[in-house]
Amino acid sequence: MDVMANIVYPVAGLIGIYAFVSLASLVWEGIDRKLVARMQRRVGPPLLQPIYDFLKLASKETIVPNTANYMFRAAPVLALATAIALLAYTPMGFEPLLSSRGDVIVFIYLLTLICFFKILGAISSGSPYAKIGAAREAAIMVSREPAMMLAIFAIMWRLGKLGVEKPFSMGVFYQHNIWEIGTPLSFVGAVILLYVFVIWLASEIEAGYFNIPDAEEEIAEGLLAEYSGRYLALLKLTKALKTYIAASLVVSIFFPWGIAGYLNLSGLSADIVNMLFHTLKVFILLFAVQSVFRATTGRLRVTQAVELLWKNVFPASLIGTLLIAMEVIM
Amino acid sequence: MNGEAILPYLIIIPLFGAFSMPIVSLAGKKAREAWAVLISALTLVVASAVFYHVWDTKEIIVYTLGAKTPFGQGVDFPIRIVWEVDLLGAIMALTVAFVSLMAILYSIGYMKHDTGLDKYYTLILVLELGMLGIAITGDLFNFYVFLEIMSIASYALVAFRNDTWEGIEAGIKYMFVGSIAGSFILLGIALLYGQYGTLTMGYIALKILENPTVTAKVALALFIAGLLFKSGASPVHMWLADAHPAAPSSISAMLSGLVIKVGGIYALARILFSIYTPMGHVVVLKSYLQPYINMTAVGWLIIIFACLTLIIGNAMAVIQTDMKRLLAYSSVGQIGYILLGLGIGLAAYGTHAGEVALAGAIYHTVNHALMKALLFLVAGAVIHEVGTRNLNELSGLAKTMPKTTFAFLIGAAAIVGLPPLNGFASKWLIYESSAIYNPVLGAIAIIGTAFCTAAYVRVLYTFFGRPSERVANAKDPETSMMLPMILLVLAIIVMGLFPWQISDKVMIPAARMLEQFRLEYINALMGLLGGA
Repeated sequence: MDVMANIVYPVAGLIGIYAFVSLASLVWEGIDRKLVARMQRRVGPPLLQPIYDFLKLASKETIVPNTANYMFRAAPVLALATAIALLAYTPMGFEPLLSSRGDVIVFIYLLTLICFFKILGAISSGSPYAKIGAAREAAIMVSREPAMMLAIFAIMWRLGKLGVEKPFSMGVFYQHNIWEIGTPLSFVGAVILLYVFVIWLASEIEAGYFNIPDAEEEIAEGLLAEYSGRYLALLKLTKALKTYIAASLVVSIFFPWGIAGYLNLSGLSADIVNMLFHTLKVFILLFAVQSVFRATTGRLRVTQAVELLWKNVFPASLIGTLLIAMEVIM
Repeated sequence: MNGEAILPYLIIIPLFGAFSMPIVSLAGKKAREAWAVLISALTLVVASAVFYHVWDTKEIIVYTLGAKTPFGQGVDFPIRIVWEVDLLGAIMALTVAFVSLMAILYSIGYMKHDTGLDKYYTLILVLELGMLGIAITGDLFNFYVFLEIMSIASYALVAFRNDTWEGIEAGIKYMFVGSIAGSFILLGIALLYGQYGTLTMGYIALKILENPTVTAKVALALFIAGLLFKSGASPVHMWLADAHPAAPSSISAMLSGLVIKVGGIYALARILFSIYTPMGHVVVLKSYLQPYINMTAVGWLIIIFACLTLIIGNAMAVIQTDMKRLLAYSSVGQIGYILLGLGIGLAAYGTHAGEVALAGAIYHTVNHALMKALLFLVAGAVIHEVGTRNLNELSGLAKTMPKTTFAFLIGAAAIVGLPPLNGFASKWLIYESSAIYNPVLGAIAIIGTAFCTAAYVRVLYTFFGRPSERVANAKDPETSMMLPMILLVLAIIVMGLFPWQISDKVMIPAARMLEQFRLEYINALMGLLGGA
């Protein structure tokens, strides 16, 4: 019985979630392309286009450059494996499968590790374009994560003060949320942190301003310059999963409400309904952060992006954090 | 199994191996190598048995040389040399024996182009012997003798390739600095002997508790100064950055993985906790307004050096272009973490944070020994195959030496402290305790790790880049060099899979034993008095 509860159910759940999320995130990409096309008065591809793309890439011949080493082949697999492992720690409308004390660090670590594997794969190709893309990715990664970490730790710490069983766990958001503190200071702080998280999300999924490491026009797809066939398919799928996961984080921090309670559901059906509702919220958030942002803005130069993240987003995170913390400290 | 019966073999076997090496060498090259491997493997077996015994029974082994008890006829103080092995000593002995075996195995392939190898294997066994002696001894002068055995063997081994300018230069530097540090320690021992008239550690501890004089404080200052030299702490780390690159890589692995820990950190921990027991000073004597030595201040002194060490060491590692020099500075940085744990263990004595910090320091000592040994062995393989240590020329090594670079990847990830590997848990214990004790120290530790990450990511960036002409004809080294690397990678991964079990079952008990809340170290010695 213990084996069932500790191993079999989580594994089954992870497989289910993985199947659902890879479908949902690819479908979202189709919706996104359609929406952006409509904004530009085009018809756009069919909704399932990313799935066709995925299948086509997977069936294509894979070319490995002469200068590539084993990491070139290993990195896409490792990146996807990390993304799948990350799903076990992602809040999906219900508490994550492997929720435990302090798992926020695991979440941040795995999310960063995906980028790191991408970088490692890119430099392993031996292509100078990929190397430039990797350097840009690293610069932006280092700049964007501190603001997010500061904000998430502050929110977790503040929610921990309200009394939770597993402090600093991703499940905390379904017990208390940042709006229920209710004081003006915390409200203003939460709004500022929402801004921080939205910019962080945009830079994580490389939308709009932050479409820098893969910039097609400047450095020929940067990080992905040498990838083709199956490996490219894996990397595209990883990116779609990561988009969904990163958006899930923002949704669960700021909009964690489920609807299963109103429908008098419980058990597995409640989880499924909440997951679908969560996916809807993720799509709405991504519509604002990805589709609109992508359609309306061009990209920044890498120096400008780094400057924005350090001089604007990080101070905002600091101010929001202080506002949230102030009531407890004083 | 009787602990006292097997303990002497920890010294007998390597001593016999070293002294018989010149004779065995007459039988030829193969015999010499086989003999060295056999001797160090046997030592590992004995060390494992000693470790298992201490861990299993949770008792301190006390072994007296030459008699049943250390006490003379009709006197109530110890007059003979004793060896006292608590869990920390046993952990150190096991680590020393394991890493030494790896280094000796590696030497078979790595050193085959050098001459004078009978001396080399003798010296490497003597080095192992010296370190094992330090780990098990309970006598202050005996400790000094083993320290010098270890030091002199490592001077000779650093300068082993005496046809290169850097070997000689580094050897001279190391010898001058190390001899001065050794003389500080000898002076400290002389002062303690003059004041208290005994050299047995447990008994001196008792005497210092009764009467903490100024002499004891001066001796403590000399010990700390000497041992910080030996461990490569920051203002005096300059010998290390020269000695480690110049030595043959198998020796660098032992120097960086073992010598600076056993001869520096372990000895420091032993002297601070077992001779100058903070327990007695703080709780008992303070409340009765008796004179005592303020060990909290000593703890803060260590913490200050630790912070300096971990910032300077890791920051200097970022800017190196020489691979082995980078690893040497990284060792300095990691020594900073261990010293930080030790310092907090002393300054926050008796609290939960202090215990966790001490356990973290012990754990990190073992982990760092494994991963730095691995990294130096990798560096040796690269030098052996490509013939350069310059990182700028080693671009794209992953293409031609895939297994070696994979080992480096694992070692680098472990030393930065990535979760599925062993470096994570030990660093976590140190971060956690330092953040609880004083958030500023936690922040300094994190900054150190940021530098460390930058340094290693830079190397990985080079290794996985576009292959340069220099590395085009390289290939993975032969089996005798790959095998130790594979074993170390396995050890790192396996230890990384059970971090909290190891921490709870081995490291925390070791820290508790060292803390001596009930004066265990002294009682283990003096308890024999009744049986005399």
